[in-house]
Order: sequence, then C-alpha cells, then structure tokens
Amino acid sequence: MATINWKKLRKAVFSKTVYRGTASIAVLLALWELGRWLRMPILGAAPAPSEVIFLLREIVFAPDFWENWSASFKRVLTGFVAAQIIGIPLGLAMAINRVARDTAFPVLEIMRPIPPLAWVPASIIFWPTTESSIAFVIFLGAFFTVVLNVLGGARDIDVRYLRAARSLGSRPQDIFFKIVLPATLPSIFTGMAVGMGITWEVVVAAEMIAGKSGLGYLTWSSYVGGNYPLIVIGMISIGIAGYVSSSLIRLTGKLAAPWQRLF
Amino acid sequence: MAAESQQYSSGGAISIRNVTKVYDPDGVNVLAVDNCSLDIAPGEFCVVVGPSGCGKTTLLNAIAGFHDISSGEIHLDGKLLCRAGLTPEPGADRIVVFQNGALFPWYTVLQNVTYGPEVQGRTKNEAKGAAMSLLSEFGLADIADHYPGELSSGMRRRVEIARALINDPRVLLLDEPFRAMDALTKGVVHEFLLQAYDRVKKTVFFITHDLEEALFLGTKVVIMTTRPAKVKTVINVDFPRPRSFRLRSSQRYLELKEMVFDAVHEEAAKAFAAGERELA
Ligand SMILES: Nc1ncnc2c1ncn2[C@@H]1O[C@H](COP(=O)(O)OP(=O)(O)OP(=O)(O)O)[C@@H](O)[C@H]1O
Ligand SMILES: [Mg+2]
Repeated sequence: MATINWKKLRKAVFSKTVYRGTASIAVLLALWELGRWLRMPILGAAPAPSEVIFLLREIVFAPDFWENWSASFKRVLTGFVAAQIIGIPLGLAMAINRVARDTAFPVLEIMRPIPPLAWVPASIIFWPTTESSIAFVIFLGAFFTVVLNVLGGARDIDVRYLRAARSLGSRPQDIFFKIVLPATLPSIFTGMAVGMGITWEVVVAAEMIAGKSGLGYLTWSSYVGGNYPLIVIGMISIGIAGYVSSSLIRLTGKLAAPWQRLF
Repeated sequence: MAAESQQYSSGGAISIRNVTKVYDPDGVNVLAVDNCSLDIAPGEFCVVVGPSGCGKTTLLNAIAGFHDISSGEIHLDGKLLCRAGLTPEPGADRIVVFQNGALFPWYTVLQNVTYGPEVQGRTKNEAKGAAMSLLSEFGLADIADHYPGELSSGMRRRVEIARALINDPRVLLLDEPFRAMDALTKGVVHEFLLQAYDRVKKTVFFITHDLEEALFLGTKVVIMTTRPAKVKTVINVDFPRPRSFRLRSSQRYLELKEMVFDAVHEEAAKAFAAGERELA
C-alpha cells in the first residue's frame, strides 16, 4: 500500500476549498444561533446549535442513543444484504436468459413504481413481527434498483468482449464468470450505492411509522416528547450514518474493481 | 529472447467459395457480400481494402464464426467453417483483433494473455509461464501487471496481438486494428506486427483503409468492389521480408501504390455515386 503523502495531505486540508467550506458552515451556524436568540420567525423556533452541542455532550455517553444507531444499522444491513443476495443473481439471470427476462420483467415493472412506504401497511399484515415487516420494506427499497442496475449493466456489455472471449475458446461458464460478471461489477456497485441511499430513507420513515427503536424512531419520539435539540441530533445522526454506509460501498467498489479509476 | 520461446505451428489455408451474405433477408434485405471467392495460402499476409461499408467486416466475421452466411462455403485447411444453414462456431484457431480493441479492461495485461490458454484447459502456471515468455519476447514484460486502461493505444494493440498469438492460431483476423492511430504510433505497431509475422508465419487476414499500410504489410492486397463486396483485383506485393520502412521510397513501391490507388479510387467513386443515387 502507498504511504501517506504528508505534503499532499497538508495541501488538501489547507486548501481554499476547505477554507470556503468551513467558512460557510460557520456562517450558517452563527446565523442559526443568532436567529434563535433574536427570536426570528422560523429560525427562532429551532433549537440553537449551542443547545444541540450541550445535549450532545451528554448523549454520547448514553447507551440508549447508541442502541438506536445499532437498531437502524441492523435493519438496513438485513434488508440491504437480502436485496443483494436475491437481486444480483436475479438481475444476472435476466440478463443472460431470455425466458427469465420475459417472465420477471413485467412483474418488476408493475411493482417498481410503488413507493416502498406504500408497502408498510400490507407488510405489517403479511409479516409476523414489526421487525420483519420493516426489514421487508427496506429490502424492497433496495431490491428494484439493484436488479435494474445489474440487468442494465450486464445487457450493456460490448459485443466485442463477448466475441473476443468466444474467439479465444471460452466455454459458457467462462463467458459468465470471466466476462459477464466482471463487466457488470461496476454497475453492481452503482446499484448498491443508490440502493443504500434509498435504504436509509426507507428505514427512517418506517421507524417513524412502526418502529420502537432506531434513529428514525429517536427523531420522531423526540418530536412527540418535545425534546427539540434531540430532533436535530437524530437528523444529523441519520445523515452521518447514511454517509458512512455509502462511503463503505464506494470503498469496497474501488477495491473490487481496481481497473475502474472513475468510481 | 526468452529462454524457452513458444513453438508455433504453421498458418492455415483459407478458402472462401462463392460466399454471399444477406442481412435481414425478411426485412431490409441488405446484400453485403455477393458471390465472393478468395483463396489465402498458408502463411500469407492478405490485406483487404475496399470502400467503406462494402462488406469487409462481414466477410471477416463469417470467417471468425460470429455469424452465418446465406450461401457459399468457407474452409480452413479443408475443414468446413461456414455454410448456409450452419450455426458457426468461433474458435481459437482463428483469433480476431478488433477495430476498437477488445482487451478485457477488468484484467491486467498478463491476465488477458493467459485468458485463452486457461479457458482452453491449460493450468494457471503453464499459462502464466507461456504468457511471460511471450510478453518478454515481444518487449511487453514491463507492463504485465498494468490494466489496459493505463496503456497507450499502440501498446494495447501489441498486447492484443500477443493475446492472440499465444493460442497458436492457424489464422489471425485483424479488422482495421490500427485505425485512428497517429502516423508515428502506426509506424511502431507496423514494425511490431511484421516482426511477429516474420517470427510465427501465421496466415493473416487484415482489413484496412490505409493503402500505404496495405502495401507495406501485405503479401497480397485484395481490392473489393463497392457493396455488395466481391473481389475486384488482387495485387501481389513481392517485396522481400523482413521489410523496413525504407521500402516506401523504392521505385517498385511507387508503381504498386499507383496500381492500388487507381483500383480503389475507381470503386470509391462508384460507392460515392451509389450513395448519391440512394439519397436522390
Ligand atoms: N447486422 C446488420 N444488419 C443489417 N445490415 C448490416 C449489418 N451489419 C452490416 N450491415 C450492412 O452491411 C454492409 C457491409 O457492412 P460491413 O460492416 O461488412 O462493411 P465494411 O466494409 O466493414 O465497412 P467499413 O469499412 O466502414 O468498416 C453495410 O452496408 C452495412 O450497413
Ligand atoms: Mg468494417
């Protein structure tokens, strides 16, 4: 692995872009704080940054807070992984097999426009526990994106590669494992990244509707309980959690497809 | 030179007999190749030139086994490759180098070169050994661990030729492999291809639009008519090998060049007129 290039790092950290970004965040926070103390309309109703930070100092030591994090992460992971396990093979099968494509495509196209949240009531009826129904809704959120990305990626493979592979004496399994699969890998990761974004949207909403734990539940119950600084903490937590998840996917994508420089 | 360089079998004989290819017979009905016959001797470097869209790629794809033909037959060393109603099979005995290049971007140079031997059942180690010795023979060993995306176009073409040769094919099929390359790069890859050819003596079927390239590389230059393609003239290019770029200033070269230019120009003018008619 490459060692850290300190000069480059310092240049990146102390660049104009970073200064401007920091300045704009600082100005935003200052305006917000000011708006609170001046009792300005709209801004004045929100808890000030200082209140939020004050609460944050306590809450990071509270185990319940982290339990909400882990509850949401567990749900996201379950639904997301299930969507990959079922979605990737289905997308690939549809790409290489005409019968599979003709059979599955119409069903997918009818189901896809239904927003995942519209599934919540039905899902609660179908599934024995609330937990499994939330996981199912999350699964749906990521599933269609994954299938369609994999299908699109695998169908878009340049015919030259397939011809070159056949010309070099490939058997069908070589075409699948050594051509179709690697050629589709970037699309698989694009599907994962988009799917992960949708997954977080869905988990938060589902927790607000039906959850007894999680970051979405935390945010909603803070509203119900009137703890306004906690709402902000919940929101920021969701933002960070989503960011961390997509970063992990991007990183995995880079490692899995090193030939793709433009990831 | 590598310690144990690969032994190559001789090139194969291609026989194209009265081949006709109609695309989409029930619909648009494009007659691309019409009753075309051509014989290519073992080890011959056959260059095919002709107006754009005349059917050169169609003929190459038929030899490669990528699509069927409407009538006629194609044989390789007496073995039937292609006939009307027969679903053709591509094979490692005739390997194609494509116009835009088809190195697998997800594999390194070395993995690209070992691909053929591996899928044909050689062990990973054997394949790797053979690939490394071939790459060093061709001066490509330094880039073995690079991805194609990191290489210049000239380098990529050299790797692609190596990827074809490692399979010891009977025939090498090249479809405008050096198109869109600048003159300097072209010069280098020409030298590379000629060296490889002098070394392995494979039968080569090479399509190009570049007439200078055709004369410099070929043993014979086949000029096709406008679509539907058939053979218009065959010009034997009798320069001795190995050839050097100095050849291009010899008297004989200039004579041949005039002959080829005249023949091609005539066809190109016809193609142009036909295009005008179609638009009118
Ligand atoms: N799949 C296809 N279906 C219908 N027509 C086709 C198909 N492929 C090629 N053609 C037509 O057949 C003719 C010959 O095409 P081909 O690609 O063989 O020409 P070419 O000589 O290789 O041309 P170029 O020099 O531009 O590469 C063209 O008119 C082309 O439009
Ligand atoms: Mg062509």
